[in-house]
Amino acid sequence: MAADERESVTLENVACCICGGVDGTPVGVGEDFEYHTTSHSFLAVRCPRCELIYLDPRPTPASLPVIYPDEYHAFAFDEEQFGLVHKVRSRLEARRLLRAGRGLPADAHVLDVGCGDGFHLDLLRQHGPKGWQLHGVDTDARAVAAARGRGLDVEEQPVETSALAPGSIDFALCIQTIEHVGDPVAILRAIGKLLKPGGRLYLITDNTGSPDFKITKGRHWGGYHFPRHWNLFNKASMRKLAEAADLEVAKLSTTTSPVNWTYSVRNTLVDWNAPSWMVNRFSLKAAPALAAFTAFDTAFTVIGRGALLRVILRRPQ
Amino acid sequence: MSTSTPPVIVLGGGIAGLLAAHELGRNGVAAEVYEAGPRIAGMAASHTDADGFSYDVGAHFVTNRFMAALGMRANCRVLPRYGEVVHLSAKKHPVYPIGLLGVPRFVRSAVWEKVRRPKRDLSVAADRFRHDYGRKLADEVALPLLEAWSGLPADQLSASVIDKIPTGLAQTIWLRMAQRMTKRAVMIGYCKEEPSATGVFHVYPDGGIAAICQHVADGLAQPVQVGQPAEKIYTDGERVVGVRIAGRDIETNTVISTLPINRLTQLIEGSDRLDRFRRFQFRGLVLVNLKLTGRELLPDVIVWTPHGFPYFRVTEAPMAMPWIAPVDKTMILCEFGAQPGDEVWAMTDEEAVERCVSTLDPLIPDVRSRLLGASVLRQPLGYPVFALDYEPDRAALAAEGTGIAGLHSVGRNGEFDHILMEDTFWRLRRRIPAIARDHHRCSVVASSIEGVHNEHSTA
Repeated sequence: MAADERESVTLENVACCICGGVDGTPVGVGEDFEYHTTSHSFLAVRCPRCELIYLDPRPTPASLPVIYPDEYHAFAFDEEQFGLVHKVRSRLEARRLLRAGRGLPADAHVLDVGCGDGFHLDLLRQHGPKGWQLHGVDTDARAVAAARGRGLDVEEQPVETSALAPGSIDFALCIQTIEHVGDPVAILRAIGKLLKPGGRLYLITDNTGSPDFKITKGRHWGGYHFPRHWNLFNKASMRKLAEAADLEVAKLSTTTSPVNWTYSVRNTLVDWNAPSWMVNRFSLKAAPALAAFTAFDTAFTVIGRGALLRVILRRPQ
Repeated sequence: MSTSTPPVIVLGGGIAGLLAAHELGRNGVAAEVYEAGPRIAGMAASHTDADGFSYDVGAHFVTNRFMAALGMRANCRVLPRYGEVVHLSAKKHPVYPIGLLGVPRFVRSAVWEKVRRPKRDLSVAADRFRHDYGRKLADEVALPLLEAWSGLPADQLSASVIDKIPTGLAQTIWLRMAQRMTKRAVMIGYCKEEPSATGVFHVYPDGGIAAICQHVADGLAQPVQVGQPAEKIYTDGERVVGVRIAGRDIETNTVISTLPINRLTQLIEGSDRLDRFRRFQFRGLVLVNLKLTGRELLPDVIVWTPHGFPYFRVTEAPMAMPWIAPVDKTMILCEFGAQPGDEVWAMTDEEAVERCVSTLDPLIPDVRSRLLGASVLRQPLGYPVFALDYEPDRAALAAEGTGIAGLHSVGRNGEFDHILMEDTFWRLRRRIPAIARDHHRCSVVASSIEGVHNEHSTA
């Protein structure tokens, strides 16, 4: 496949999405170890002022259908395929979401930005208060079709052009989405406009302040997810992002995830041509590895350096 | 009020000039690139001959990191191996640098040097090498090589010439292991500006090094203007105000030059600040490329020959890049240090080839019977010579630049530094934003002054 697709991914140079600088210094270089959608290599650079890690150059918007193939897991994370892992993840994430949404009114409007196949909205529908009004937006037609298939109210467009009324949302979710988009500032500004004054945005993204990043940032870090993660944050760059989008940081902490650890190991093995039985020990379907890395990462979360950033931003009153 | 901003003028359409224009574009500044020669790429040119052998001018080291930065990695192949050895005798070829630790007399003298000698002035290359590596290793290996490619005795060279091995011993061992494990030529110490890592390895673009230049040139907003030699750079109050290119004066407040610094000094009008760089010397190289039958004729890709050979380095590039020569054939490159006008430089091509063939025996016993053909290239800009004589001026150029506002001398020849293509790239990426800001500021000031003039004349 790589040979055919070689020409179909085109690249463009970009600037730091926070400060506009173009003098990023190289941090890591790697390939699409997971889906092999292109034979390009990608360079992750660090903005010397913002500490943002971003891909430069990165695929053009026209290349998106190639780098997000049909079998991409965000479109196909179903119970049938992922069994036990799906069950455990669902339970954990439902608990996290409800904790973040504590204190919302019984008829709150909740918006999931980059809702994918509607996984999180579905959790809220099952476990949350029945009066909540759930909305989703996503730009990928396949994801939107999957979410609508679950009976969810999802718009197929970027949040910037959502038909929802400005100032109507109590609680927005942006879960592992911000790293996929080209202009995170624009997305957060748009979410800010949709939020009621004082409304909250619950944001989860990969943490470049994690020990996993520190160890494997040169090439194999799972969080790079080459070439699909375009902007990656630590606590410092997240604060700068929030400031640029005129949102207040209500809470900035980290949370546990085994996924990046698992993929860091897997990418290393794939890159070094390890036998497939070994590679397959490390995947989203490999419960033992996920369990072990969950325990491992929990220890780092305790000291504030978990695999994911967990951020609550607020629209100023 | 004037709305047009004068362009930044880039002198030289080699890789440095092209990358400078590329980075200026990223910073929102229009650049005009002028190349004196008939085509772009300059010293980074490549060609393939009728027998299917591909050449670049000189040796280039290109990494996956650099190619990814330019979005070219998909057009590159990975080098399966890369290594250097030092020829000490017909049987002994210690791997550089770790293998040299296996030679007892080198280790003994290095240890002795550390124990015995108190710290003293180490500004001379000869002293510094002996102090760092021990007398034996310095005198038998390092200094003869340094002298060959510098053309000066090591006691007339500055110690700053050796600030160029950024990788430590432990890291080198680790990177070598990674090289074995990944079967990729992991880069060890071929970039000063960015560190070595297991994930950074040598690659080579299809179409050779020239393809990099073409790719960068294709991405520029304006085509490179070839056959346009720079003739003058006008300054006023130690600031660039214009250039004369191929008989035409162009107004500008910013010039980025990739010319050899000693040549650049000759173009300056209205300032003598650069005169001190006029004495800087480049060491030339005579490059003899032998086409031979067979493969893997050398013990490793590069063999350093500090003694007993008229050249200082022998390279079999097809060991690292099998695709640049036809199957079962190879190329052996012998590099002579030389100076235009000296005896080595003046050799005829036949003499140069004969000198190689008649001396390669200890490395390739049957070389004469393998010979298919040869080509000879004389490269006057091989290495910048770090002579002690002008070391303060060299250090000043490195630290402060040209001393003329708006005049930036970049690239290996412009900076007069032992840097490779990737170093040039990262240095430009760091430097250009400030150059772009300065250019913008000066242009705004100039146009507002003009605006004031215009208002007055209308009134």
